[in-house]
Amino acid sequence: MYHVVLRLILLVGLFFSLFVLASGMSGWRLPDNQQGYAPKQPIEYSHRLHAGELQIDCLFCHSAAEHSRHAGIPSTDVCMKCHRFVTASFDVMSEKLRIEDQIKQLRERANAQSDDGDEATSLDDLQRQLGELKNPSTELEKLYSSLGIESPTEPVPSSVDSSIPWVRVHNLPDYVYFDHRAHVAAGVTCQRCHGPVESMERMRQFETLSMGWCVNCHRESTENGINGQAVQASIDCTVCHY
Amino acid sequence: MSNESQKKYWTSLAEKEGSSSDENVSPQGGESFSISRRRFLEAAGFTFSLAAFSGCGRAPSETALPFTNQPEGVVPGRNMSYATTCAGCPANCGILATVRDGRPLKMEGLPEHPVSRGGLCAVGQASPLELYDSHRLTHPLMNGEESNWDEVDSAIAKSLEEIADTGGAVRFVTSTITSPTLQASIDGFLQRFPDSRHVMFDALSSSAILDAHRQTHGIRVLPHYKFEQAKVIVSFGADFLGTWISPVEFTAAWRTHRIPTASHPEMSHHIQLEGRMSLTGSNADKRYRISPDDYGSLLTLLYNELASTADQPPIDSESGQGSPDVDIPALADRLWNARGESLVVSDCQDVAVQCVVNAINQLLGNYGKTIDIERPSRQRQGNDRDLLELIEELQAGKVAAMFVAGSDLTHNLPLHDELAEAIRGVDLVVSFADRNNDFGSLANFVCPDHHALESWIDSEPIDGVVSLTQPMLQPLGGTRSILESLARWSGRNDSSYEILRSHWQQSIFPRSNGASFPQFWDQTLHDGIVTVKSNPRAIEEFRFDAIQPLSESARGDFCLTLYHKIGLTDSRHAHNPWLQELPDPITKVTWDNYVCISPATAEALGVTNGDMVRVATASGDYQLELPALLQAGQHDKVLAIALAYGVKGTDRFANVGPDWLEAIPTVAEGELVGKNAAGFIETTEDSLRYNRADVTLEKVQGHRELATTQEHHSSNVPPSVAPHGAEVRESIQETSLAAFSQDSSAGTPEVHHHSDVQLWPEDHPKAGHRWGMAIDLNACTGCSACLIACQSENNVPVVGQDEVRRQREMHWIRIDRYYSGDGGEVEVAHQPMMCQHCDNAPCETVCPVLATVHNEEGLNEQVYNRCVGTRYCANNCPYKVRRFNWFEYPRDDTLQNLALNPDVTVRSRGVMEKCSMCVQRINEGKIEAKSRNEPLADGQIQTACQQSCPAQAIVFGDMNDSKSAISTALKNPRRYGLLEEFNFRPSVSYQRLVRNNDGEIEGDEHV
Repeated sequence: MYHVVLRLILLVGLFFSLFVLASGMSGWRLPDNQQGYAPKQPIEYSHRLHAGELQIDCLFCHSAAEHSRHAGIPSTDVCMKCHRFVTASFDVMSEKLRIEDQIKQLRERANAQSDDGDEATSLDDLQRQLGELKNPSTELEKLYSSLGIESPTEPVPSSVDSSIPWVRVHNLPDYVYFDHRAHVAAGVTCQRCHGPVESMERMRQFETLSMGWCVNCHRESTENGINGQAVQASIDCTVCHY
Repeated sequence: MSNESQKKYWTSLAEKEGSSSDENVSPQGGESFSISRRRFLEAAGFTFSLAAFSGCGRAPSETALPFTNQPEGVVPGRNMSYATTCAGCPANCGILATVRDGRPLKMEGLPEHPVSRGGLCAVGQASPLELYDSHRLTHPLMNGEESNWDEVDSAIAKSLEEIADTGGAVRFVTSTITSPTLQASIDGFLQRFPDSRHVMFDALSSSAILDAHRQTHGIRVLPHYKFEQAKVIVSFGADFLGTWISPVEFTAAWRTHRIPTASHPEMSHHIQLEGRMSLTGSNADKRYRISPDDYGSLLTLLYNELASTADQPPIDSESGQGSPDVDIPALADRLWNARGESLVVSDCQDVAVQCVVNAINQLLGNYGKTIDIERPSRQRQGNDRDLLELIEELQAGKVAAMFVAGSDLTHNLPLHDELAEAIRGVDLVVSFADRNNDFGSLANFVCPDHHALESWIDSEPIDGVVSLTQPMLQPLGGTRSILESLARWSGRNDSSYEILRSHWQQSIFPRSNGASFPQFWDQTLHDGIVTVKSNPRAIEEFRFDAIQPLSESARGDFCLTLYHKIGLTDSRHAHNPWLQELPDPITKVTWDNYVCISPATAEALGVTNGDMVRVATASGDYQLELPALLQAGQHDKVLAIALAYGVKGTDRFANVGPDWLEAIPTVAEGELVGKNAAGFIETTEDSLRYNRADVTLEKVQGHRELATTQEHHSSNVPPSVAPHGAEVRESIQETSLAAFSQDSSAGTPEVHHHSDVQLWPEDHPKAGHRWGMAIDLNACTGCSACLIACQSENNVPVVGQDEVRRQREMHWIRIDRYYSGDGGEVEVAHQPMMCQHCDNAPCETVCPVLATVHNEEGLNEQVYNRCVGTRYCANNCPYKVRRFNWFEYPRDDTLQNLALNPDVTVRSRGVMEKCSMCVQRINEGKIEAKSRNEPLADGQIQTACQQSCPAQAIVFGDMNDSKSAISTALKNPRRYGLLEEFNFRPSVSYQRLVRNNDGEIEGDEHV
């Protein structure tokens, strides 16, 4: 009897440890494999909205990719090209326009007729609604404060500007030298390495960015070409390591 | 059998004697291992388990900070190049500074510069390290205490007001100033003081040349020497390829006539007469060993010989009979035949001797041809007579205020203690040095000037050749431009940019042909340099009556020569670890100064390398104990000591290099790097003399092991391993011009054992690019600019004196210096040696982890991440060019780390490294061409060593491109590959050395 209990306990223990091991292994990855890394950014910037919905070209913001090894994170003044005028989300902006329109209509009507208590109440109500609308939005406020400006439409610096501390997502080790220029010139799409960025709400590392993954693509590209163009993607060590 | 292959080469006297200390040492040293195997395994196991744990989890998060407003044209990660001017010495070579993300990284020569012609010496290459020096002052000092500019300004302004009222004497002392704007600022500043004077001095003065021209031409100028016009060059001690006046310019010019071709087998003839072995002497066609106190008598004899040919009255020559070795009539004959195409120069500081030099050049018609005094040089303006007068004034207590900029005044002058005492008596003493140096510690105020890479200033090295210096970054500390300091004390608030620009508008622009000033300014700023009209000068007819018979100087047993080493041309460079660890091109010693003694004298005295000797003046008022260094080719009577050592503050290098149990500090407790020999400088009534004939030498107790690299990494091949039937060849192949003109392949060893067997024919396809390099030994002077260029480009660590002694220096290029001869009279050959990128590389076959492999473009690549540090490759490398990281070399100085090239991995402990042929530059060039959709043009990619070379000795390019410069170089009949008989198939080729020595080798052959 004693042995049976002991065996049972051992058996349960064995299954339990196998289970723990198996569940642990499912999340197992090589050291430094950062696949799926999606850190919280200082501004909740949405690639889905900008690159997906609004279809802004990648190179509009990451223009350095054509001229430098780094694709570069756009400087705040690049954001200001649009956000000088776009100060909140589409819904908020259209709601704002709608209320402002109503207020205007109400005022016109009030001017045409004599004072009316009812209409005054609804005007106050609309003014309150307008005040409740978050404009500029919380996230864009961070953008404006980085430039040290108060009003986006009239960007006069009121305090010191400071860089936005974006958290690096795609961060290769120091002994790897990757050059965006070469890949952009060869016609490699951004999505080939960065994944479906246009559908990502928060940026995450889509691929493993491991050496094997790089080498496989170099081999395939040399064999099959890129977009029908023949390319010589070398797999020499010194292409990336020097 | 040709004579050349019998010529025996040796790198050190010990090797010549056959007692090389290197013989039984493994290539990378071999220290006894004091930890037991068991302990090691225990520790290793523990470390590995820790490493396994540390592998889990995310990499630490990193932030990326973009600009808020990105300046136009700035792209993160992209190199920008700006033209500026080197301030390492008054030669003022042009620099093209590479700036990445706002920090200057690499200095390149400015190819369009009319003076330096694209070269840059070791000092210029090392300047980023002086910019990122954490020991530079970041604030002004008042009475040795940290202060701020407002306090300093008001205190100085108050003192100056008192001095102006009382009419006290104000003396502004600087080293040579080539900047027209700074000169004007100083002149303007001094105007308000009735008794004021600007005194210029040089750490190694050429004052006698200027004074001699005042006597012979009525104008005190330093002529602009044009070595490119000279077919016969005779130098009495002037080290013009090494440290004299403008070495980069002179090297480029000297090279013009040094490359014979099969169709045009002509070369200039360069004769050097000197006491010590200088870099220039080592490159001469004919070198005579002459004691410097014989320069005068020899020059007099030479003059008289020429005068008799030219029907001019001779000079009475009772002083000395010259040297029996030198055939003066033959020398005079050779010079006379090259009238107008010859050049005689000397570094002698005796004005009378320099007058004779001028007279010789006048007889030869060299003025206006090889010597230009209409557009003279401004690179040395020091006036020793003024300086000596100032010292007298100081000692008499007549000076009320003293300002010192440039070189360290007290460090570079003799009678240090008396001078220091006199300076303490001056009311207001201001130093503009960037640190609290020797003079600074005597000053009431230290007002640190910017580094040149932070400054707006200009320079005019040659009259009419004006260049701009522009800042590459905001000043790193709270320093202030000297222009601004002078403006503040004159009651103005202008910035240095405004001062510079307005001076250019008023004074430089009118000398140009430009239409509008803004356009002229922008263009000059872009180009870095502009040529304008020279200042008009009144040059008188040559006055032969200025030539006086030379007086007999005092003679002792030994003649001491004080000189500057390559790199350390001024005491302010002593704070640069790259330059301290640069092996001297001749002695190969790092981190020290010493007494060079000829082998015969050393034997008579019973000293050997490193034994301490005492050098003293005959009067006994100054003496110094230093280690001895046996220098082949030095005159038996001559002793040589390098200046610019023993610099205050160099004790900071005590712990440079790795920190480990058996480490010996580079600088011992209470000592400095080397010892200051400036006390030996002799003062006469009109000049400072660096050669003095009244010194004594004696052996004293003690020994100091010098850190010399001369026998390290020797590629000597023992005869026992030579392939069957093949003769072992020496690394250097040479011939004479006479032999070359008959047969352009003269000098090729006759025994060939050539095999075309390829070890891996399929692995080495030859399509695409195939990088190769060719080095012309006829152009290479051994100046070592490439070595520092490589160090700067490739993040080569500094290891310290002790590690150099253990043969662990990390330089990727070494310049092998070979002697041939008997130790007295020697011939020298310099050979830059780096990874040869062999097609059949012996290192590749022995690597157990494939960390060193061949790539598609013919490069032998080293993969740091694969390397496990077996060092098999280094053992099997026939050229001994591989360097092992024995340690994690300290990178604690975060400011200094800004000089690291972000394109090159900083290697960690336990991996092998070596020349990569600047693969980062190759990749950059290829990618840049691809992104512009252009083919890669020949010459677009330059390696760091090639770019810096003042003599353009190095050619790099694609050997598969039949039109490239490298392909042309490979067809040169002088081409040879090192150890080719072993079929290593090196990608680096050399071009045979041709000496223009009248076929003396040929003559010997028939004896």
